[in-house]
Amino acid sequence: MHIFAEKAGMTRRQFLKGSGLLAVTVIVSGIFAKIGIDAFAAGDNYIAQRAAGLYSLDEKMALRKSHENPEIIEIYREFLSPGEEKYLSAKAHHLLHTKYGKNIPAFIEELKAPGQNENSHEAA
Amino acid sequence: MSTAVLNNGVIHVSDQCKACDHCTSICPTGAIQGRLGEKHHIEIRKCINCGQCLINCPFGAIDDFSMVNERIRKALDNPHQFVVVQEAPAVRVALGEEFGLAPGTNVKNKMYAALRKLGFDKVYDTEFAADLTITEEGTELIHRVFNALGVPGFEHAGPLPQFTSCCPAWVKYAEDNYPQILPHISTAKSPQQMFGAVSKTYLAEKLSLDPGTIYSVSVMPCTAKKYECDRPEFIASGYKDVDAVMTTRELAQMIKTAGIDFVNLPDERADQFIGSSTGAATIFGVTGGVMEAALRTAYEVLSGEALGKVDFQAVRGLDPVREAVVEVPVKALGGKTLPVSVCIVTGTRYVAPIIEDVLADRSNYHFIEVMNCPGGCINGGGQPIRRDTY
Ligand code: SF4
Ligand code: SF4
Ligand code: SF4
Repeated sequence: MHIFAEKAGMTRRQFLKGSGLLAVTVIVSGIFAKIGIDAFAAGDNYIAQRAAGLYSLDEKMALRKSHENPEIIEIYREFLSPGEEKYLSAKAHHLLHTKYGKNIPAFIEELKAPGQNENSHEAA
Repeated sequence: MSTAVLNNGVIHVSDQCKACDHCTSICPTGAIQGRLGEKHHIEIRKCINCGQCLINCPFGAIDDFSMVNERIRKALDNPHQFVVVQEAPAVRVALGEEFGLAPGTNVKNKMYAALRKLGFDKVYDTEFAADLTITEEGTELIHRVFNALGVPGFEHAGPLPQFTSCCPAWVKYAEDNYPQILPHISTAKSPQQMFGAVSKTYLAEKLSLDPGTIYSVSVMPCTAKKYECDRPEFIASGYKDVDAVMTTRELAQMIKTAGIDFVNLPDERADQFIGSSTGAATIFGVTGGVMEAALRTAYEVLSGEALGKVDFQAVRGLDPVREAVVEVPVKALGGKTLPVSVCIVTGTRYVAPIIEDVLADRSNYHFIEVMNCPGGCINGGGQPIRRDTY
């Protein structure tokens, strides 16, 4: 038992890597200053390797900003805010936003009220 | 709709428990009960379904509730159901591990091919919905900032700082322990749930399908996503928005059971309309990624200028709590520079002091990202288990 606990503890420590709990980086001259070192390049544990995998995928993508995705532009122009690209439109609010905690029961009633949308609620 | 998950939770300790007590040190909420030498059990009320205990149990004694046989296979076998699937960013850099590839290997295009072979009618991507999350959640943040600055017309926006909302384990933790903080959590649904709502409305229109015949499945690095999909409020489409969730491990198992030679599959692409994505969506799977994706869009919207370099190195890293300040010139304020102060938390156990500061009005942050799992969703409770690390 002791051995397992020791080794699993290692994983956690490896993850924390002896760095301070709070890493602070202040960028004064905008985002163009490259201050952070690549924390993943030398990573030999699987968490760092998976992270490096995602960052290298990001770098290879033709588009790297969400609002430039042509299918995002299309869903706003055709469906969420017809004719324009308006984030937080009424339809976007209805389909893409939610409520939490004690506000949920009333929210469910609201969603089930007739006229909320043309679909049925058979599965709900 | 099944209420099993809501009532009993997703994660259970099996009879294989060797009572080593390791999981109690892993659990971020103190939900695991039991003394050394005693079979452990999970207190459902406190559990946030994150599965960190599961991937860290040295004896494989913890299981997650499976929707594969009862829901997903039945839908795939039903000729009247049009089964669509989405996959989270973190899945594509870990699925390969189950087939002998190194961690971090991108298998996105083979994953699409495998899902088609498994019988899914259309294969899309959660990353599309991650991009949609950014346009909605990023705009919500800008509105909250304008409200705080007293810009007229934004009085109805919520308070600052804004917390991210895409991690259902973090959301449940906040609901269970800090109800006063909930107005600070973005109202934007998680990418999984946005995808579900869109798949039964917009996609149904695009494909001229009766939305009632669409069955929406997701592949997630996460066990809490199973709980999230069964939450009763996710019915905005008029149906259950996401019908079932499987983990990265369960997808690997389905691929193996079907006898698919995964590593030799041809590269395929996701289907049209809700399948394309940007690099901003890809990094949702790693801690700091949602923050960086939001900053890329918020910077351009607020400044009216195109970003030259999109990498925000300052928010990257694996430390459990990180903060950064990004200077953003704001067009609406005549080009005045706004120092946007952000914080990234990876590991729910570290979030309480940050919440306490917000509630005591001591916090200067504008935006706080919280991911339950150490490192982000790449290390989620549904990911391949790395026994080699013990
Ligand atoms: S880590 Fe696994 S074996 Fe050890 S007490 Fe927890 S459930 Fe039991
Ligand atoms: S799933 Fe997460 S919250 Fe629940 S018992 Fe396991 S570690 Fe704790
Ligand atoms: S960090 Fe990601 S994988 Fe972990 S519980 Fe949250 S959403 Fe799920």
